[in-house]
Amino acid sequence: MTDEQLDRLVRDADPVPRALAARLGGAEQTLLEEIMSTPRLDTAGSDRPRRGRWQGVAGAAAAAAVVAGIFAASTLLLRHDPAGTMTEPAAAPSAAAPSEAATIAPEVEGDYPRLLIDEPGWTATYVHGFTGENGDVSFRKGGREIGMTWYQDELYQSYYDDRLDVSKPETTTVAGTPASIVTYSDNDFAAMLRPHDGVFVELRTSAAKPGADTWTRASFDRFLTRVVRADQQSFLAAMPSKIVTPAEVQDEARKLLAGVPLPPGFAVSSLPEAGAHDPYQFGALVSGRVACGWISEWVRADKAGDDSARRAATEALRGSRDWKMLKDMAGEGAYPQALFEITAKVVAGKVPAGYEAGLGC
Amino acid sequence: MSSEDRFRRLYAANVEALLAFAVRRVEQPADAADVVAETFLVAWRRSDDLPPDDEIKLWLYGVARRVLANHHRGGARRERLGERLRQRLSTVSPDPGADVPQRVVVRAALNRLPAADREILMLTVWEGLQPREVAEVIGASAVVVRARLSRARRRMRDLLGHDPGTPGHVLDVLTVTAPEEGR
Repeated sequence: MTDEQLDRLVRDADPVPRALAARLGGAEQTLLEEIMSTPRLDTAGSDRPRRGRWQGVAGAAAAAAVVAGIFAASTLLLRHDPAGTMTEPAAAPSAAAPSEAATIAPEVEGDYPRLLIDEPGWTATYVHGFTGENGDVSFRKGGREIGMTWYQDELYQSYYDDRLDVSKPETTTVAGTPASIVTYSDNDFAAMLRPHDGVFVELRTSAAKPGADTWTRASFDRFLTRVVRADQQSFLAAMPSKIVTPAEVQDEARKLLAGVPLPPGFAVSSLPEAGAHDPYQFGALVSGRVACGWISEWVRADKAGDDSARRAATEALRGSRDWKMLKDMAGEGAYPQALFEITAKVVAGKVPAGYEAGLGC
Repeated sequence: MSSEDRFRRLYAANVEALLAFAVRRVEQPADAADVVAETFLVAWRRSDDLPPDDEIKLWLYGVARRVLANHHRGGARRERLGERLRQRLSTVSPDPGADVPQRVVVRAALNRLPAADREILMLTVWEGLQPREVAEVIGASAVVVRARLSRARRRMRDLLGHDPGTPGHVLDVLTVTAPEEGR
């Protein structure tokens, strides 16, 4: 799917009704008159909202959104042991003893090569995936960010060909693997490593905030010398303590589910124990599975004419607004809102089409 | 042109875009009336001191984002304006087909993006802004916007499948994918 095709799909999903303004019956004009009937500020001596100033206002809002969206980071190389205590960094992430790592993450699917940064101060701010070949992680240090994205090796050539349009690639070596550097701008670079053991990874710079500590080619080159190879288990073990890794899934899920009515047949042990989840993603996983179970039960009871079971499912779904895990997620993203919209429709007697996709059933 | 006349002109030129911007970002369409009312109230109170015409829409989006943040925190409105607009919006029904599975799935996928990435994709596709304009609205650099936009599209492709126009495939993919949500 090209960018244009994807954008068209998104554009088609725009929730704004067509010809909205024509359907307002002049209410927007009434609002204008209401607004203009209120007093204006005494602008004498006021500071004019010049370009830079209003950028600051918008920037503050954006910064708040971004800050809300990251989990509190701890030092990257701290390890999270099974007892939940933080221990000192391993001398090198890749040096973790296999037997020890195995006790940390016994259920990891696959063992694809990952990368870590052997330099103090880098913290993981975003983690997604790592259930198989694919995964996304962002690290931040000061004003610099680096994103690492893993892909299946079969996609390498198409991504490499695509980057040829960016700039002429320059060859280098990253963590012992041949790599190509492309230059997007004077402070924006990417390095794509050749496939290794079924995957390849691309590293892409970005700025954590405008202005500060921008990347240069020299700083990027220095950074690349600090990138080291790690196996999947060591990689997950190096994530900050708030990241839910496979061995922690059941315990963390039980904490989230305290006080939440569980649908028939639901078992914590059925939750997938793979990959890495930041708290928000994990809350979505757990709450989604519970809501899916109750909707499924509601559908079953409705078809069977089992009024008692249907009432129980309805009450459980209605109560989703009180689930603490969703309240905790509310300031960070739209998943709780999406879940509430769907459960409200079921409570009203209509199961929305496509709810499985919305909830991740 | 007096500042009142200019405000009327700017309002007429931008109210529909701001209304759409707000409708896309609130749970209940009627709440968009509050966001629009508050945003233009800020503009009115500063109407002697607004940015130039070619910057005004982006400035309004920036103000609306701040108003929305307050709305999502449950902040109280300062004025009770826009009641009629609120009533009208509450009676405007969605277009037929708004709930067709493909659109539901695409919106669900959008909801799974990290909040900052989702906003950048929405500003790009729904508001039709260029990366440098998105950068101005959210207060980031164009470099950051481009990188995040690229990541957002990649995540959307991962969620929706790489084959356009096959919602069945989309549902299959999403059904077997662990729920993931951006922050």
